[in-house]
Amino acid sequence: MHAVPQLAVSTLLLGGIYALIAVGLTLIFGVMRVVNFAHGEFLMLAMYLAFWSFALLGLDPYVTLVLGLPVIFLGGWLSYRLVMGPVIQASHNVQIFTTVGLSIALQNLALVLWTADAQFIRTPYYSVVVRLGGAAFNLAQLVAFLVAVLATAALFAFLRWSYTGKVMRATAQDRHAASLMGIDTGRVYSLTWAVGVTCVGVAGVLLAPVYPVYPTAGLQFVLIAYVAVVLGGLGDMAGAVIASLIVATVEVVGSYVIGTAWKEVLYLLLFIAILLVRPAGLFGQRGAETIGV
Amino acid sequence: MTAALRSMAPALALFGFAALVPLFVRDAFFLDGLILILLWGSVAAAWNVAAGYAGQVSLGHSVFFGLGAYSAALMGTKWNLSPWIAMVVGAALATVMGFVIGFLSNRLRGPYFVLATIAFSQVFLIVGSRWRGFTSGSEGIPVPFRPGFWTLGLVEKRVWVYLMLALAIGLYLIQLYLERSRRGYQLAAVREDEDAALSLGVPARRLKVAAIAVSAALTSVCGTLWAQYVGFVDPFYVFSVDLSVRFALAAVTGGLGTALGPFLGAALITVLETYLRARFGGIGAGLVGIYLIIYGVALILIMRFAPQGLVPWLASLSGRRRVSRATGAAGVAS
Repeated sequence: MHAVPQLAVSTLLLGGIYALIAVGLTLIFGVMRVVNFAHGEFLMLAMYLAFWSFALLGLDPYVTLVLGLPVIFLGGWLSYRLVMGPVIQASHNVQIFTTVGLSIALQNLALVLWTADAQFIRTPYYSVVVRLGGAAFNLAQLVAFLVAVLATAALFAFLRWSYTGKVMRATAQDRHAASLMGIDTGRVYSLTWAVGVTCVGVAGVLLAPVYPVYPTAGLQFVLIAYVAVVLGGLGDMAGAVIASLIVATVEVVGSYVIGTAWKEVLYLLLFIAILLVRPAGLFGQRGAETIGV
Repeated sequence: MTAALRSMAPALALFGFAALVPLFVRDAFFLDGLILILLWGSVAAAWNVAAGYAGQVSLGHSVFFGLGAYSAALMGTKWNLSPWIAMVVGAALATVMGFVIGFLSNRLRGPYFVLATIAFSQVFLIVGSRWRGFTSGSEGIPVPFRPGFWTLGLVEKRVWVYLMLALAIGLYLIQLYLERSRRGYQLAAVREDEDAALSLGVPARRLKVAAIAVSAALTSVCGTLWAQYVGFVDPFYVFSVDLSVRFALAAVTGGLGTALGPFLGAALITVLETYLRARFGGIGAGLVGIYLIIYGVALILIMRFAPQGLVPWLASLSGRRRVSRATGAAGVAS
């Protein structure tokens, strides 16, 4: 039982990061009805941004976080303009394969430019351990968690209260009605895509001091995000946050009980179970999975 | 009949060409390329049965490929059994798995279905790489080479060409059946509008599961042959999402739901890959990823400018030419 506080803290820290990745994914899906299969690659690119800023310019990842924010946002916006925009009215299949193509291209671009070697950022506070009430954790993890929570909260506030956020929610509810109300849905989509990419980009920069960077680094995180996003109901923002905590719980408790080697099987089985029992997710609209929205 | 023959002419020319090549070409490099084109074309065609004809776009087909490959490797090393038996066992396992996956994800459509199939293939990847006692884990298994046709230990590349050609023609004919038969039209109806198909009495649910199971068995057969040809099975390759994407890529490039498309796509991709590897492979190992960048960009461009794939695009080109040449004539061929 002495492990309980440690498990709880680990779950919370992990869940916070997962939530930020999942929220970006589910936002894009909710507004645009596109599952972004290149989501993990944006995470990886942001991790490399943090790594190279550190290696070449000596910038601390948290400085990169602030300075790099416009870069990440612009990158997201550009990728929409160049890649997603032209197929936004096309069928599901076309959109799925477009994002898959983007994922392959970005992953191998990183491979060619920066090789497959895992890179590490050795910050001065790399090995600083914080002890709190029977639990120990890495300082960078704590910072990542706090910033992730802040960023997620800021996104929720933006969607809830800002005019642009309301426009995005209106488009998510009914794109045709929104367009009839004079909303430029094309602009909403490009903004949504860029905001979604920024979420996962922030997560990437935050993860860089804790995890190694390599061209396929995004995959392990984004798989978890897929599970969380479906569990919470595709397109459901609050659902994605709660589901991220559930997935983190399964992962942390699972690896404590049966060992780290098999922990992935647990959340994948959880995923398959949800698809079987309640494919629309815990809080999603029942039947959403059969109309493919 | 002549119309049917004419529509098959490109396929006849392509497979006929493949059959003639080994008679004149001895170069192992070219024969190897041909074998791989036929093999990847066949896997793409097997994927096409589920994705193109039944509309069940899966990115987890490496599960079935891996089952076939592991059957060959494990049954060969552990029990010294023939790969032909392994092929049947692998296909049976893949069929069962196809039924399970098809049944479990029956209600899912579009992105939901894709995500479910990815999850299944990840489960297999983890089991394949962690169950050390049975699968040797992430080290993989070398497939034993035992000379002879019964054990598929073939040194002659020419024999491999004809073996893969038989596989490819078989898959082409299965796809042709799906294009022309009542069953095929029912599948097309399910693909285009499942609710409308259901309302017309088409057993949509059952057909979807059946299509996935058949596609799974065929994919597994290709997996067994691949394992015997390459001689090594490793879980991070055979169960990867990348491999599933590769199947899909060939079929989508060539033309989703067309019988010839997967083979054309595979030919294009394999040639491109071999060329770029030869071109950049020597300069530095880091540059081998270039062909994958081109893959990705090509996929994006095809989706944007010719989302139907090459076959329908070429058909529309030649159709237009034929129409313009035949203006005035009574029967317009197209």
